[in-house]
Amino acid sequence: MSHTTWKRVLWQRQPYPDNYIPPDSFLASLRRNPSFTPYTYWPLVLSCCPITQHLGTIFIFVAVFVRLQERSLDARLLLWISVACFLVGYLVWEVLDYSSPSRGPLTRSSLLKSSLLFFLTLMSLAPVLKTLTAATSSDSIWALSACQFLMNTLLADYGYAKSGPQRRLSSVLSMNAAISSSVVLASRLPDDLSVFSLVLFAVQLFALFPMLRHRFGAVPPILQVALTVSISALSFALTMSLSPFVAALTSAIYVTVNVVAPGILVWAQRYKKQAVPLYSFP
Amino acid sequence: MKDGALSIAMVSDFFHPDVGGVESHIFMLSSNLIRKGHKVIVITHSHPPDRVGIRWLLPSLKVYHIPFPTIASSATLPNYFTFLPYFRTIIVREHINLIHAHASLSSLGHEAILHSHFFGVRTVFTDHSLFGFEDAASILTNKLLAAALKNVDAVICVSHTGRENTVLRGQLFEASEDNPSLSAVRPSVYTIPNSLVAEQFTPSPQPLPSDTINIVVISRLAYRKGIDLLVATAPRVCAAFPNVKFIVGGDGPKLNDLLQVRERHLLQERIELLGSIRHRDVRDVLIRGSIFLNTSLTESFGIAILEAACTGLYIVSTRVGGVPEILPEDMISFTDPDEDDLFWAISEAIQIISEGKHNPQDAHERVKGFYDWMQVAERTETVYRSVMQSKPIDLWARIQRTMSLGPFAGPIYTAILFVDCLFFMVLEWLMPREDVDHVHVHWEPEVFGKLVASMN
Repeated sequence: MSHTTWKRVLWQRQPYPDNYIPPDSFLASLRRNPSFTPYTYWPLVLSCCPITQHLGTIFIFVAVFVRLQERSLDARLLLWISVACFLVGYLVWEVLDYSSPSRGPLTRSSLLKSSLLFFLTLMSLAPVLKTLTAATSSDSIWALSACQFLMNTLLADYGYAKSGPQRRLSSVLSMNAAISSSVVLASRLPDDLSVFSLVLFAVQLFALFPMLRHRFGAVPPILQVALTVSISALSFALTMSLSPFVAALTSAIYVTVNVVAPGILVWAQRYKKQAVPLYSFP
Repeated sequence: MKDGALSIAMVSDFFHPDVGGVESHIFMLSSNLIRKGHKVIVITHSHPPDRVGIRWLLPSLKVYHIPFPTIASSATLPNYFTFLPYFRTIIVREHINLIHAHASLSSLGHEAILHSHFFGVRTVFTDHSLFGFEDAASILTNKLLAAALKNVDAVICVSHTGRENTVLRGQLFEASEDNPSLSAVRPSVYTIPNSLVAEQFTPSPQPLPSDTINIVVISRLAYRKGIDLLVATAPRVCAAFPNVKFIVGGDGPKLNDLLQVRERHLLQERIELLGSIRHRDVRDVLIRGSIFLNTSLTESFGIAILEAACTGLYIVSTRVGGVPEILPEDMISFTDPDEDDLFWAISEAIQIISEGKHNPQDAHERVKGFYDWMQVAERTETVYRSVMQSKPIDLWARIQRTMSLGPFAGPIYTAILFVDCLFFMVLEWLMPREDVDHVHVHWEPEVFGKLVASMN
């Protein structure tokens, strides 16, 4: 072998075979994980809270539906609860608006007008909704609504709004899936008032609550945790009296999502191998 | 045919009439191998309506067009089996000894590597580009590449950086012979650079006007080519040097950004946009300028830079991929891919040009001595010879290698290998080899050249 040293150039013919690989310089410029900041456990747990809240609302909704169908819950009571939820939610919205103003497109008067319009339209549509799926068997309805809730969970936007009121397509799809699922479930109910109050409740939970949740990025973590705990406790209490098995399943899901999954992600980071050879961008 | 001459089939999705680096590489390599006495054919997909069936190109290069539809940017869908009936017939009737697949996104090439061992045909693969490891598309295509390269006899890369990239992407390492606990790169991975035809890129005979300095950019206007950097830097350069003009050739998704920046800074007189340029017109654009600017964020070899340097332009380029390897440092100003550094490097280049320190004729003479297609063909021939002398990989070793792809991909690709074997046996029974029309005569390059000349 010749004594000239190998150079990393192509324009010069070198006295080495083409498959010669110098012992030390191969991949010498490779850097591992250069732009990598590992996740830590507690911030991950905190950012999993919206997922648990969302799952909680779905379980609460299903429990309320079962009670309405078994006639163990008065539809008028649900109506008042919905109205109360709306007022409380609106109050929170105003408080958040006061601390960090958003350029929302709605003024207070137009908000009132559209709320009333929606309320009345829904009321007049309730008899139609009740007979919407009269020709379909209940089994198909359960399967359909389960699929749609699954889609709702997968596509929901769990992040916090950074700027502006723009929404992603997937979160709109997610909301549509939940609302149509609640409409087909409501059509199984025995009377018009139950249908009306359940759909109204669904709108609170699946259309208005996610909008509010998007703005929770600004609230202190302790309130986030408190809200998550109370929603999951409420859904647990509501399902416990219906079926202890489902209640156990619910809490298992909560623990997995909020405690185990962040741990798995933190653990799995040790396998992260982000190899970036020098001078290749990005 | 001479003794020791090989019958080689180049297989790739990317070939004439498409234009590009891979396409011209295959053509130039093939014609130089034909000059060295080998028989070469090209297998690619068809370009309906008119480029179908079998065509002949000068100098007596036979091209088979397989009727497969393309999905995106002239690549066919990876489907593993459908190519085999065509491939088998071509290999048998042309008496092929060796196939040479090109480009890591060409599924025809990958399939050819999968099928070749049925015929005792040896395989070589050339990788032309750099890819990342992070996004979903890269992860998928890298897995496809790794699967194809498990059973290839030799791999050629166009630059040392490209070789490092391909070794990582295609998992081209195996247990080292001296120390089995260490893994070493397979000895069958070669670096053979691209080349260019220096006669096509001669500098302009009359000197350029000295009052304005033209900066030429010829590139696809895409994110990977760093057009955002150009957009950010061009107005600054125009403001700082009133005698500088930009000439931009090429088309692509970032054209709008360039148009906007030109509008916003009122630089219609200073930034000339030419749109896409045919390869034969590239020199005419290049000779108008004295500085060539390349802002790529990733580049395996950078043939455009070489063409510009050969035409006598001074080069300013980002220090990415294989670019630092292709030219000596005094012919090129390097910059990091950020705005300030690029501006500084362009200023330095403008100073070198205006002081007359760069002589285009000298640059042309130097580049002419660096690269030569005949030399590339000779070096490739060496690879072919060592592949032909090496021991073929038997089926059992093939299965073991495929299984080592991973717990998930391994069994899938082994299943594909088995099904491929069955399909091959069905074909052997359905279309016996004796019935295949064998090719016994091939055009002599000189005779073919004369015939074509007489017809024109």
